[in-house]
Amino acid sequence: MRQKPRTDLGDAEAGWYATHMKLRNTLLIILGSFAVVGYGAALLFFRLLVATDPATPESALLNLLIFATLFLGLIALLAFLFFRLVGVPIRNLTTAMNAFAKQGVRVPIKISRLTPREIRMLIVTFVDLSERVEHSHARDTEISHVKSDFITTAAHQLRTPLTGIRWALEALEKSDTVSEEQRALIENAAEKSHQLVSIVGTLLNMSSIESGKHQYHFEAVDMPAFLKTVVADFDHMARERSVTLSYKENPHALPPVRADREQVRWVLNNIIENAIRYTPSGGSVTAWADMRDSLTLCVHVRDTGIGIPETDRSGIFERFYRASNAVSKENAGNGLGLYIARTIAADHGGDLSFSANDTKVGTTFTLSLPVAG
Amino acid sequence: MESDTVILVVEDDIILKKLLSRAFADQYNMLYANNGAEALALLDTQTPTLILLDLLMPDMDGFTFLEKVRARNDAVKSTPIIVVSNLGQQKDIDRVKALGVSAYLVKAEVSIDEITAKINEVLSTLPAK
Repeated sequence: MRQKPRTDLGDAEAGWYATHMKLRNTLLIILGSFAVVGYGAALLFFRLLVATDPATPESALLNLLIFATLFLGLIALLAFLFFRLVGVPIRNLTTAMNAFAKQGVRVPIKISRLTPREIRMLIVTFVDLSERVEHSHARDTEISHVKSDFITTAAHQLRTPLTGIRWALEALEKSDTVSEEQRALIENAAEKSHQLVSIVGTLLNMSSIESGKHQYHFEAVDMPAFLKTVVADFDHMARERSVTLSYKENPHALPPVRADREQVRWVLNNIIENAIRYTPSGGSVTAWADMRDSLTLCVHVRDTGIGIPETDRSGIFERFYRASNAVSKENAGNGLGLYIARTIAADHGGDLSFSANDTKVGTTFTLSLPVAG
Repeated sequence: MESDTVILVVEDDIILKKLLSRAFADQYNMLYANNGAEALALLDTQTPTLILLDLLMPDMDGFTFLEKVRARNDAVKSTPIIVVSNLGQQKDIDRVKALGVSAYLVKAEVSIDEITAKINEVLSTLPAK
């Protein structure tokens, strides 16, 4: 029974395997020794039998046989030595490398005085290398902690004075002794402070999502119902800008999707707000959901807006990217929304994409999400 | 004036404390503490109806205060608590919800009116005295 060398050993298995191998090898060595000794004895016996007459062909044949045996024996001895001095250390090294690569576990490698210098150097170099890798990994983990602590602290430090500003302005707004002009100024300041709060929240969210360690809370979500409530939140904004905002009900019942409500809401808020913002008054924004296939649900938001110029289409999802026709004092976005939105979609196992409408006016953004279960 | 209702505000920022009190002082009896330690001391002699709790404070933060309150064996243990903090990460919310709070509001993202509404909402769910 010939066993193929295993390269994917678990700890217990490796132990059993090693013992099994050792036992088998020991038995083979013992049997082999007996066979060799027996063979040698037989040769010697026959040699002695024909010792008296060296000239006969049998004698020459026997001499040849003895010579060949001794020669083969020497080769066997050399092979055995090679195996012990080179093969075994290399196998130990391979086992240790495997353990480190697959599980990050450092296994001690036995070196004896007989191990050839080059092999010893190889093993020492590997030990140094694995130490460096471990050290670097520990540093990365620490840096990641420090960074996330910094972001949390920074967010808190930014939010505290912003809270003070916001609440003070609210109190002022409620005061009776404020003139119309002053009220307009206060409202303006309040709106700007809201924007700042929103940016801080976005930065915090982005940092969390980008770190790859954001903990999503996935649950089964009824997307049509969810979408309807999210759209309703924007009724006021749409009316203010004289844009018709509507949600189209799907005649069929759609299966629930696996989604993190908070994050998907954020994505939808972003897409819908963009759609309204970049659609001139008199235009329309429509949202609906349908199935791309049995495993994927799509949410579409279609607008009759200024569209995304060809030259900007490939960059639109990049960080801080703002399309050439979007940058205006009125549309003070920060270019982070779509980048984060796309990352969230990808983290859900879905995607965020867009296409120019076939009517040549406006864009349709599509968020695809996997069905739950 | 709800003469029975006592609201304890645990908040270290002076300005914010002032703005909060401006909004509520007409309607409720107010108690103030600068941090968790002071708040705990107050709880020895008073039993507030509701607590507004900030999280990041010196001396004893909101998390520790919350743990201590929920570990008590008296009437104070189940006092409804509304967390009003600028920490907003999910792990903070989870940590606090595990100890039992009525609501978690991110200061910078809510108006005073919204806080008032939440206070009224929580008070209305309390059993009548």
